[in-house]
Amino acid sequence: MIEFREVSKLYPGSRSAAVKDLSFEVPDGEICVLVGPSGCGKTTSMRMINRLIEPSSGEILIDGEPNTSMSGTELRRKIGYAIQQIGLFPHRTIAGNIATVPQLLGWSKERIRKRVDELLEMVGLDPGDYRDRYPSELSGGQQQRVGVARAMAADPPIMLMDEPFGTVDPITRERLQDEFLKIQQEIRKTIVFVTHDIDEAIKMGDRIAIMEQGGVLAQYDTPENILTSPASDFVASFVGEDRILKRLSLSRVSEMELESAEGAGKDLPRIKGDPTVRDALSQLVGAGVEAAVVERAGERKLLTLRAIEETLGNRRGRT
Amino acid sequence: MTILLQGFEGPLFDWSWVRSHLTSEIIPALVGHVYLSFVSVAIALVISLPTGVLVARYRKAYAPVTLVTGVLYTIPSLALFAILVVVPGVGVGPKAVIIALVAYSLLVLIRNVVAGIDSVPPETIDAARGMGLTEGQILLKVELPLALPVIIAGIRIATVTVIGIATIGAYIAGGGLGALIFDGIDRSFPTMVITGAILATALAVATDLLLLGIEHYFRPWARAAGRRG
Amino acid sequence: MMGGLFRVFGRPEFPGAVARHVELSAAALLVAVAISVPLALLVNRSPLASLIAVNIGNIGRAVPSLALLALAMPFLGFGFAPSLVALAALGIPPILINAATGLREVSREVVDAARGMGLSNLQILTHIQLPLAAPVIFAGIRTSAVQIVASATLATFIGGGGLGDIIVEGFQLSSTPVLLAGAFTVAALAIVTEVVFGALERVFTPEGLKVAKRRQAKR
Repeated sequence: MIEFREVSKLYPGSRSAAVKDLSFEVPDGEICVLVGPSGCGKTTSMRMINRLIEPSSGEILIDGEPNTSMSGTELRRKIGYAIQQIGLFPHRTIAGNIATVPQLLGWSKERIRKRVDELLEMVGLDPGDYRDRYPSELSGGQQQRVGVARAMAADPPIMLMDEPFGTVDPITRERLQDEFLKIQQEIRKTIVFVTHDIDEAIKMGDRIAIMEQGGVLAQYDTPENILTSPASDFVASFVGEDRILKRLSLSRVSEMELESAEGAGKDLPRIKGDPTVRDALSQLVGAGVEAAVVERAGERKLLTLRAIEETLGNRRGRT
Repeated sequence: MTILLQGFEGPLFDWSWVRSHLTSEIIPALVGHVYLSFVSVAIALVISLPTGVLVARYRKAYAPVTLVTGVLYTIPSLALFAILVVVPGVGVGPKAVIIALVAYSLLVLIRNVVAGIDSVPPETIDAARGMGLTEGQILLKVELPLALPVIIAGIRIATVTVIGIATIGAYIAGGGLGALIFDGIDRSFPTMVITGAILATALAVATDLLLLGIEHYFRPWARAAGRRG
Repeated sequence: MMGGLFRVFGRPEFPGAVARHVELSAAALLVAVAISVPLALLVNRSPLASLIAVNIGNIGRAVPSLALLALAMPFLGFGFAPSLVALAALGIPPILINAATGLREVSREVVDAARGMGLSNLQILTHIQLPLAAPVIFAGIRTSAVQIVASATLATFIGGGGLGDIIVEGFQLSSTPVLLAGAFTVAALAIVTEVVFGALERVFTPEGLKVAKRRQAKR
């Protein structure tokens, strides 16, 4: 568990604080996304966890212990660190890059070798092919995967990720996000993830901390709650005018309660697969209909605009 | 200031000598030196611009030219003087010095002209061609202006190098500030040595800084023009 | 003609001159490296100090070699010592500039990633910065070496010995074979230095950087 207690950062000579009285908790095994516009202090906050930056006041506790209870170097070897520009060491092979922290920790060569292969498999790169290559031989997307593998090398319980998928094209980014979420389902690390992209935050985060200029925490909650009840005008506008639609992208058609399609028109279009409710809505609007048929466990169910609206109503929890 | 090793009489630096010989020896040496240096670089520039453009165009010439110029540049100047002096028709005197100075400048300038032209992004040339400029117009209006900072850097390096080599040229009767140094050593007269050495250094450093300023003046402009839109 | 040249090579003072030339150059290069590299490591701590060092180095490069040797004479006299001091001073700027710039230009993200992963400052210096800056530093050492070997020719004027002695003798005797023997030998020495240090540069370039360069050239 990571806890921020009234953490502030003020740079000398600067009029406004970079981070102001930040307090929140990240439960074990969850992804907490820090998101906000440039200058909101999200990266600064993340870097205070592994003490690349020291707070001006307040403290950060990891599993109840202040993160100052050991040296910065020692601390960082226990925390995975993946940054936007990746920072792979160009003069070392991929295997050499991933092995960096394990080597520092004194693992045996055999253990390191196994771990490197294991991690490369996990991030979708064939170890036999990639371990002896150099960073300059890899594409941006591949380098990003190696960056994540390198951060996970010593199997740290906590990981810090600063826009780790930021420099690749949107298609690759989506794939990387999906794959990472799948990995996280298995390994359940405590992750602090920084991004400026609210959609990425909503997709990746179990909890989101929205920060605004001056390092102030605007709202800290689950994506659903933030989309449903933004705490301020700033949050509402940051989340976007389409937050209702964004809420719909949080769940899938298969999670909806639907009525049977028996007796309904046979000419209705079919929705294939299990898209998000938002994508399903998009298909309805695109086809110019108010209802479509969804196959579920052999039965034909009716997906209507009304049902979708009711989904929103259910969540709102008020009349 | 006391002299560490003996061999000289009198003070280390004799200002009265300087004052009395300012117009008779010092200034002429300085002027001669400046003249020698700048004329050599100018000649080399005139030769190297078209040559450099040609080499940049015809890549086959690039490797051999770079190799030859690289090797020649490594030859110590005193050695080059020795070789030039035995060539019939050259002999001792300013002629040999100018030939050597022009030669060294050429080596630096050709390399920088080529590098400068190479540094022009191919997309820029492609855009210019697409806009309908002739090859000649592209050269004059696009390539050379963008290559300018690198070329000026070449002029700077060449000039500073030449000022240095010209001091050595005094040994083969080339005149210039080196004459003060060599005479001073011959006569065991440190004042002359120091005067010549300091003036030569000052000239070199001042020229370096001046041309650096000019280089910087052109660079932000070149960077803005070369930046992709 | 060739006979004349070889006769000069056979002269008793010739091997001594070559040996002295190499001695002087090697010693001056060692001193220059011993001063420049630690100095560059020191100024690496502060971007301002680094900048100042590079600028001073750049100005130092402009100083004419003969002037430097000549200035050593009134203060240190004639002989090996003043020549060594002057040549070492001559050799410092290229190494200092390259080392300071090379260390500074090691990409910030790489250093940040290394720090974030838990490498100590010393480890970052030895495992990351120095290996990545090595090619540039060696390029500076190569430039310095060639410059020192070339300028050592001038040491003759302040009694430092070396192949300059042979060339000067050639001038004094108006003897073409002597002039050419001296000139060709020192030119050969300079070229050999360039080639040897060029090879050293390649040896000390980490494999990963060579691979990266090759890919860049292909594009």
